[in-house]
Amino acid sequence: MGLINDKAFDVLRSIPYLLEGVGITLEITVIALVLGTIAGLFLALCRVYGGSFLHNFAVVYSRIIRSLPLLVIVFMLYFLGSEIINIPAFWAAVLALAMHTSAYQIEIFRGAIQSINKGQMEAALALGMSKYQSIFAVILPQSLRRAIPYWANEATIVLKDSAMAYVLGITELMRRSEYVSARTAQPMLTYIVSGLIYLIMTYAFTKSMAKVESKVRIPGLER
Amino acid sequence: MKGEFLMTEPILRINNLHKKFKDTEVLKGVTLTVNEGEVVVIIGPSGTGKSTLLRCINRLTEPDAGEIYLGEHKIESAKSNLTKVRQRIGMVFQDFNLFNHLTALQNVAIGPIKVKKMNKKDALELAMRELERVGMADKAQNYPAELSGGQKQRVAIARALAMDPEIMLFDEPTSALDPELIGEVLEVMKKLADAGMTMVVVSHEMGFAREAADRIVFLEDGVIAEMGSPEKIFNNPEKERTREFISKIARLHGSDSEMPGTGS
Amino acid sequence: MEMIQFFIKIWPELYKGLLVSLQLSAGALLLGLAIGLPMALARTYGKGLVKTLATAYIEIIRGTPMIVQLFIIYYGLPDFGILLDRMPAAIIALGINSSAYQAEYFRGAILSIDEGQGLAAQALGMTKSQTIVNIILPQALRLVLPPWSNELIYMVKYTSVAFLIAVPELMARGKMIITQTFKPMETLFWVGAIYVVVLSVIAKAVDIIEKKLAIPGFQMSRED
Repeated sequence: MGLINDKAFDVLRSIPYLLEGVGITLEITVIALVLGTIAGLFLALCRVYGGSFLHNFAVVYSRIIRSLPLLVIVFMLYFLGSEIINIPAFWAAVLALAMHTSAYQIEIFRGAIQSINKGQMEAALALGMSKYQSIFAVILPQSLRRAIPYWANEATIVLKDSAMAYVLGITELMRRSEYVSARTAQPMLTYIVSGLIYLIMTYAFTKSMAKVESKVRIPGLER
Repeated sequence: MKGEFLMTEPILRINNLHKKFKDTEVLKGVTLTVNEGEVVVIIGPSGTGKSTLLRCINRLTEPDAGEIYLGEHKIESAKSNLTKVRQRIGMVFQDFNLFNHLTALQNVAIGPIKVKKMNKKDALELAMRELERVGMADKAQNYPAELSGGQKQRVAIARALAMDPEIMLFDEPTSALDPELIGEVLEVMKKLADAGMTMVVVSHEMGFAREAADRIVFLEDGVIAEMGSPEKIFNNPEKERTREFISKIARLHGSDSEMPGTGS
Repeated sequence: MEMIQFFIKIWPELYKGLLVSLQLSAGALLLGLAIGLPMALARTYGKGLVKTLATAYIEIIRGTPMIVQLFIIYYGLPDFGILLDRMPAAIIALGINSSAYQAEYFRGAILSIDEGQGLAAQALGMTKSQTIVNIILPQALRLVLPPWSNELIYMVKYTSVAFLIAVPELMARGKMIITQTFKPMETLFWVGAIYVVVLSVIAKAVDIIEKKLAIPGFQMSRED
């Protein structure tokens, strides 16, 4: 009983094994984030500036995806894989995370875009910029900065949610924790250790994003 | 000038008050006595500690040194009597600070209800009377966000009055207001002064100072540079700095303008 | 047509799961509220150790995945002689998770109320606790509604992780139906549809409640 006993060392000896899982966890997170951000930003632009088809698509997509639990999306893609096209478990997990986060990122970027004073767009158009030029040269540079803290928060959610890849048997941190827990019969200690690893990752990421945010801050401009 | 007849007992005594923020000494030994029924207007360049002085009186800001007496009662930071003392001092803020979740009427009633433990019905009746006094009875059921700045400030005055204070502090009550809304607030303050309320007012409304003040205090660099009747301060100040400041304010505010509706 | 017949066949089973999911959500949200609000007050107004502990609690919970928390409570606590059934374990894990997020929503709302109102209350002679109870909280609780309703929707979705410790909620029932019928896509379609419909209904209901409680001047609109 308790955390300290002879088996505890088995858990500590397994830390290198767990850390290999961290590599896979990070791989899943980063790819999902890149795909999710591209899709989210694109759909946000569709939603704000797009014609009625693109606008409606973005609205409905965001609505539906945000109503589905991540696990449902994971299984959908996984079974879709087994039935129609073969999606490996790893990619089912990555794509599910990417879809899930993209829907939230639509809302983040939309909010950031719409928070920029209307006069900015008018001034850009008045200078003779095209709508695209105005969006890319004037609106996005401001709204992307504003989106950073929300995006950073969303990124840590993706990192934490990547633990759900566990259900598909991908040997990322969570799945490896389960193996260690079963082998050592030390679930408490094992999960505390893996919890700590997640905590360090989210903490480090949050800190570095705060650095990025202050680095790109526009002098004198209040949020 | 009513003050000449009413000046009786000192109600507020401030003795050698000091306050430092980080390295900046804002108050460098201010001594001031306010008599019952007296209206004291404090003027002075920005950053010279006018608001700090007011806030030290009811200990929203903790002074570093010096004493303050309200009547015979020494105001100290000991928590037990602090809330009691604050009940006796009404305060009106520059940016109103109305409670956003309460209607005008509730804003005025909440002090008597929660602090004085008055029963709700009496408190609401009292609040209504106070709102009538400031001409806001018809907006009793409106929320702060539905009121103009001048209306908000009048409700804030009613809120302070509902506590039946012995003295009222006004911290630049009109400087957050659009020019056309200033008059209605000054009018309420003038009425209050005429009714004999003891008031300490930080304001640059020279029209008001000239008409309602018994005494004007010119605060500069954390000390009282000069003090006297409006007559003296406006027309024959002793110090060159006072004269400069008065004429600068007059230029900025275009003021020698009279108070609306009071003419003289 | 086939899809509809399939739905009629599996609906009773899914309905039972949905009820479990909603019970989980309600339990977790209430537990989260009961822990989260005091935590928010401790982090905002507390001093010294109280503030540090509340901050640590909130940041640790928010910095780790819900699954880890769930497994610590369900698989880990028995190491200390605490054996919980699946359902209470899931409610406690989800509730603790939610409490940290709710605490931050409350704290954000408290901090967004301008300082002047606190000063004005003190100037009237209110004590610190009277000020918090009468002036700050009534406003903070209204301001917190939009993020709080997002948390509600999150919670209903996240109850699906309880499936990992075999709580028979909606996702778990769906998974069982899949193994019985070998119709994963059809089953998942209907499971997903139920989540979408239920969450839309909840979102709508929350909307109506927010409108009812609206006070002029309060930003009550929910992002969405």
